[in-house]
Amino acid sequence: MLLKIIRYIKGYIRIRITGYSTERFLNACSHKGILMWGLEPVNRAYEMNIETRGFRQLKPIIRKTGTKVVIVGRFGLPFFLHKYRRRKLFFAGAFLCVALVFLMSRYIWNIDIQGNHSYTDDTLLRFLESTEVVNGMRVSEVDCARIVKDIRKEYNDIIWVSASIRGTRLIIQVKENEDSLPAMDETVPEEPAEENGAGKAMDIVADQDCTITRIVPRNGIPMVQEGQEVKAGEILVSGQVPVLDDAGTVTAYQYYEADADIQGRTILEYQDAVDLTYEEKEYINVEKIEYSLKIGDYYLRFGSIENSYDAWEMNGYEKQLCIGENFYLPVTYERRTARPYRSTEKKYSKKELQKILSASFQRYCKDLDKKGVEIIENNVKIYTGSEKAEAKGRLTVLMPVGAPAQSQLSEIPVIEEQEETGE
Amino acid sequence: MAFFMRPKRQRQEEESHPFRNKIAELSELPKDVALGMPILTVTGQMELCLENYRGILEYTDSLVRIQTRTGQIRINGQKLQVVYYTNDEMKMTGQITSIEYQH
Repeated sequence: MLLKIIRYIKGYIRIRITGYSTERFLNACSHKGILMWGLEPVNRAYEMNIETRGFRQLKPIIRKTGTKVVIVGRFGLPFFLHKYRRRKLFFAGAFLCVALVFLMSRYIWNIDIQGNHSYTDDTLLRFLESTEVVNGMRVSEVDCARIVKDIRKEYNDIIWVSASIRGTRLIIQVKENEDSLPAMDETVPEEPAEENGAGKAMDIVADQDCTITRIVPRNGIPMVQEGQEVKAGEILVSGQVPVLDDAGTVTAYQYYEADADIQGRTILEYQDAVDLTYEEKEYINVEKIEYSLKIGDYYLRFGSIENSYDAWEMNGYEKQLCIGENFYLPVTYERRTARPYRSTEKKYSKKELQKILSASFQRYCKDLDKKGVEIIENNVKIYTGSEKAEAKGRLTVLMPVGAPAQSQLSEIPVIEEQEETGE
Repeated sequence: MAFFMRPKRQRQEEESHPFRNKIAELSELPKDVALGMPILTVTGQMELCLENYRGILEYTDSLVRIQTRTGQIRINGQKLQVVYYTNDEMKMTGQITSIEYQH
């Protein structure tokens, strides 16, 4: 393949030799070091390919061997260029192409960010833009060391940055500090809390009025019993575990993040309403389309969606030209269509109303089910009025209750105790 | 064609010269270098690569005769074609049926 390309660039000639001692011709050629290939006997003559350079040395051989040489064809780049030498625009285009490739390769065409999990590409690109690192800047103006410094300074939890230029791409690799991700934070065990940390003490409080039906504490002291009615805000499980001495008085507290499964019975109000009438659109068989090209601040519009109808719908679609992943050009393509319609007011039938309301109620129940809510009693009913149809009623449910809240510390006995032991 | 062949006397001398053979063997040089023997590399029946030759004596698509220092090589076959032909190596393709040596 490579050989073929080289031959094409250098150019070669296919010749046919006839005469008495054609073999002598071949040997003389090889003796002179003229390269031949594609040798083929064609009824009492030979055809072969020969380099252009070698062709010029053939004259003495032809004279000596008494053969005749006919050129069958000329191939390769030099002959191609010679053939089309008058096509000046073609050459101009080829030159322009090379020049453009050369020029364009001196600009950044793509900024590639790798290794980011919690920061999006957009965030980082916007930050880079604020430090004047953008798509389309000159490669020579990119200061990788400065980019690295800037990113490290701006983002504390990015612990390693590398910026490099590969061709026309600016590659930024980052490594984030995974330990500081919030998801990881929660699983950190609460050991430090026992040492110093009153701050870690968390209670579970009721987030709504309900009757406790079941309570299974895992951490902390339960403050309520099954069957007890509680108000919103009441502490259900305390995160402060008292330490008692022999006399039964509190000498200290141990602090925990309270954890428990608590289920309560409560009543949920449900209400939903639907208008009796609705608007139906009857589209007129007319559609107006407008294409526009936005370059910078200038619009180039084709067609128009202007019309004289009372009511019409407009749909739009916009696309900004983008090279590679994130090099957006200031060229936007838009397409807008307008569809006029006549609106008529229609009434739902009773069945339809029932269907709509019960479907939305079903959806509501499904959502509750996903949250772990169990419905025990349901007296939701549908009422039809003069303007609206309503679904109203109460649901008695068993649902998980409790939300974590910071403990109000009862510190007094702790301090006393510490002073005593200190002395 | 006789132009390319050496006089018979000289050729026989080379062939039957035990002294030259001895020296070649003692010097541990490859035979092709020391004695100028041809090297034929035949791939299946399709391809033949030839080194250390003097020149082509005859070339048709069913017979190629090649002159080497130690004699002639006849290659019979069908659709024989010379892929390239340089001063020190040639390659041909086609259906090769026989390779003969003549002294």
